[in-house]
Amino acid sequence: MNQNLEAIKNQYIDKIAALKTDKELESLRIELFGRNGLINNLFSKIKDIAPQEKKQYGADLNQLKTKLETSLLSKNVQKSEKLTSEKLTSTIFGLPKIGHLHPITQTERQLNEVFRKLGFSVYNSPEIVADEFNFTRLNVPKDHPARDMQDSIYIKEPDYLLRTQTSAIESYLLFQKNKDLPLRAAFPGSVFRNEKVNRSNHFVFHQYQAVVVDKNVTIKDLIGTMDLMFKTLYGQGVVVRYRSKYYPEVAPGVGPDMQCFNCHGVGCPLCKYAGWIEMGGSGMIHPKVLEMASIDPNIWSGFAFGMGLDRWTMAQKNIKDIRTLMGGNLAYRPNEL
Amino acid sequence: MKIILSELKKFLPELKVESTKLRDDLTMIGHFTNFFEEIENETVFDLDIKVNRGDCLGYYGLARDLSVFYNIDLKLPFSREVRPQDGVGFLPIEIKTDKVTRVMAIKLSGLKNSKSPKWLQDFLKYHGSKSINTIVDLTNYIMFLYGIPNHAFDTAKSTDNLIWEINSKFKEFTSLDGSKLTLNNEILMINNPNKALSLSFWGGESCSIDLTTTETIIELAIYDRTTVRQNSRQLKSVTEASVRLEKDLDPELIPQAFNHLINLILENCDGQITSQLFDHYPNKITPPQIEFDPQKPSLVSGIEIPVNFSIDCLTRLGCQSDIQHLTSDILITPPSIRKDISIEADLIEEVIRFWGYYKIPTNEPLDFKNLPDITPPEIYLIESLKDQLIDLGYDEILSWPLVTTPTNQKTVITTENSINSEAIYLRQSLIPSLTQQLDQYTRFKLPEPQFFEIGKVFSKEGNKYIEKNSLALYNVDQNKLISDLQQLKLEGKIINDNFFEIIIDNLPKPKKYIPQLIKNNAVELNSQIITLDANLTLDTKEDSIKLIEKYSKIIGSEFLWKLIITDIYQDSKNSQYKYTFQASYFNLDDKKAKNLHLKSFNLL
Repeated sequence: MNQNLEAIKNQYIDKIAALKTDKELESLRIELFGRNGLINNLFSKIKDIAPQEKKQYGADLNQLKTKLETSLLSKNVQKSEKLTSEKLTSTIFGLPKIGHLHPITQTERQLNEVFRKLGFSVYNSPEIVADEFNFTRLNVPKDHPARDMQDSIYIKEPDYLLRTQTSAIESYLLFQKNKDLPLRAAFPGSVFRNEKVNRSNHFVFHQYQAVVVDKNVTIKDLIGTMDLMFKTLYGQGVVVRYRSKYYPEVAPGVGPDMQCFNCHGVGCPLCKYAGWIEMGGSGMIHPKVLEMASIDPNIWSGFAFGMGLDRWTMAQKNIKDIRTLMGGNLAYRPNEL
Repeated sequence: MKIILSELKKFLPELKVESTKLRDDLTMIGHFTNFFEEIENETVFDLDIKVNRGDCLGYYGLARDLSVFYNIDLKLPFSREVRPQDGVGFLPIEIKTDKVTRVMAIKLSGLKNSKSPKWLQDFLKYHGSKSINTIVDLTNYIMFLYGIPNHAFDTAKSTDNLIWEINSKFKEFTSLDGSKLTLNNEILMINNPNKALSLSFWGGESCSIDLTTTETIIELAIYDRTTVRQNSRQLKSVTEASVRLEKDLDPELIPQAFNHLINLILENCDGQITSQLFDHYPNKITPPQIEFDPQKPSLVSGIEIPVNFSIDCLTRLGCQSDIQHLTSDILITPPSIRKDISIEADLIEEVIRFWGYYKIPTNEPLDFKNLPDITPPEIYLIESLKDQLIDLGYDEILSWPLVTTPTNQKTVITTENSINSEAIYLRQSLIPSLTQQLDQYTRFKLPEPQFFEIGKVFSKEGNKYIEKNSLALYNVDQNKLISDLQQLKLEGKIINDNFFEIIIDNLPKPKKYIPQLIKNNAVELNSQIITLDANLTLDTKEDSIKLIEKYSKIIGSEFLWKLIITDIYQDSKNSQYKYTFQASYFNLDDKKAKNLHLKSFNLL
């Protein structure tokens, strides 16, 4: 930090520490943050700073401002009423501050627990992936129109990108564990799409996927297991239908749709009048995907399914803006009152 | 894609289901139908056609699916085969590229073009297309019917000397809507020796059909789909034709669509055929022969699907088979229109989707199986750290992995095409994100913030991309931060007084860790937290925590952020006790917070 600003910070931290009453605190707050206060004066001087130092100075000044603001906020002082009485205690009474898990982590753990009880491991893989793992090994060769289903963020086009789907983790899993069959794994993960960030869309969101490779795996196993997951998340009363749906990495492909919780299947703006909400994708792992992982599809079969977590989490926590989930205005009440 | 019910019924005269049922049935067999609407006595459906079903980008393909599903006849529109009279000349067309899969073309003369009839105008309107004139509209009509794009050239402008080639000499092309596109040497085009006439997927202004057109060459063509897709991307132009031509289309369907179009033009615009039929189809595509075990649909689905149903279903789909015994493998040849069927799994999928996924029970999940744990140890470490931090009172946040400013310019990884121009660097540290979060909390006047994030940080070493797991903490109380770090046995430097960050990949990892299942609150803050004091006088000394619980209940949890007692005094004169409460409210404006506060503490 700039030396002058550092000195100012130290000077005022000492002053804040020495505050005794709320009157003193308010007076110091005005001195610092009032219209003609110190901080505004310092900001007004940015124009006089040499151009090459401006950026750093601005960052330092913002840091100073934040530090002093939080120190003032957290300062507890004595109230200044005229007392004819005797203070009984200096303790502040309140329920203890508890820590909180992010809602996405809560959902991930809830699902991990469901799958752990079925013998699944939790798995992960890098977020920067080679095209091969994000597309080719999932039966989406170069220039296949299925690539248009996902707008990618490239690190080095066309070879490296930020993974667009948790199926990329499946590619790694099949590649790395093709000698450790049978296998069951589930994986939450961040995925990236080249979307403009606004109230409804984000470039990063969260998916959950589960994969099984074994002998004689069936669609009945897939649907039963997926249904268990939906019941865990949405409750026993949830109505889910399973239908034909195309994904290049599976055959047959199965699409789960949840009956709209808002209109119960009648049709409303939320479900775009379909009465159903698409919940993700699934299916039996495509024989070519197994072959590319050196797994013999004549011996082994498997299923995979995946779903997005953000919309569900937002609905559960009554969050209206998707930006809230990632570094926005998400906060936690310090204790359960 | 839009379809209208009256046109679909021309292919399926026996179709008699309610629109709602048709919508749901289309969805169940794989064509998600968003909605249908009644417009001017017509029912219009809006469908998502998946990329593997290029055949369903036309009524014909969809009708084929529905005829199997409802077990009703499929009727092809009657079209006389195009037969030029003897003595008419050959078209001087040249095909100079192998990117043309098949093209059929013919010349029509003596035409009387006009405004389209109402039925045709309406049809296009329901499909979101503008009516131009009869000839142009009929070419579009046929594209919607069969999913095969086609084109009409006004020979007064184009001449008969059409050349299909990869562009090598033209720099610019003006499309039918007047858009000017800059060409390169990779674009598949239809030209004449002097002019760029058309892209493979978009007609050109220089040979457009208008009301004065009396002579035209009509062509239907299918190309190498990768070339069309690349051209469409290079020119940043997507048309109804490009969407279809970049899918696998059936060259065997061209004659049916071609005959239909020529018949319609001659019926509606008079005229006659004045050239021989041109049909370039150098490499006839042979559909695959697939070994199919009729027991497999049952084995894969997990439920009994009768073998007879499987065979009947595939037959109705147009598959040819050499059935000897239903118990052994059958050699199946799918119809040429079904480019998506190439292996046995595709045939199995066909049988199951027509049998119905709804017949598969939903209450039989996998049983537990004891398999070796392949969970990477760092996942256990991360979960364990999260639980320890929660227990110490920290809140978890997640932040953007893409940031605006690099921490280290030399090792930063930059995205190449992020459309969020303000965030193009992959983060190298979590501290800037935590600082931003702190700014946000300060703006909201959030009391006593203490939070953490565990996430990936990225860097580049030469050509290698490095990802590491990082943990960063913030605590407004530096002393608590120090003692918490000691408790967590984390060593490192405290940054800017209240922040800490460490790469956790090298920390000791637990062999196994089952994390706590926690359901806690989370709030979307929309305005500043408002903190107000309340002084209450009580006759007796009360338990402070019980008082907090009591008033928390009175205020209600909807808007109460935090409630504490900051002071307790005993009045020496009249033996009363004075309690000072500090209540913080969220998502309320000043006035509403004050009203709730006064009401709750009975201070009105």
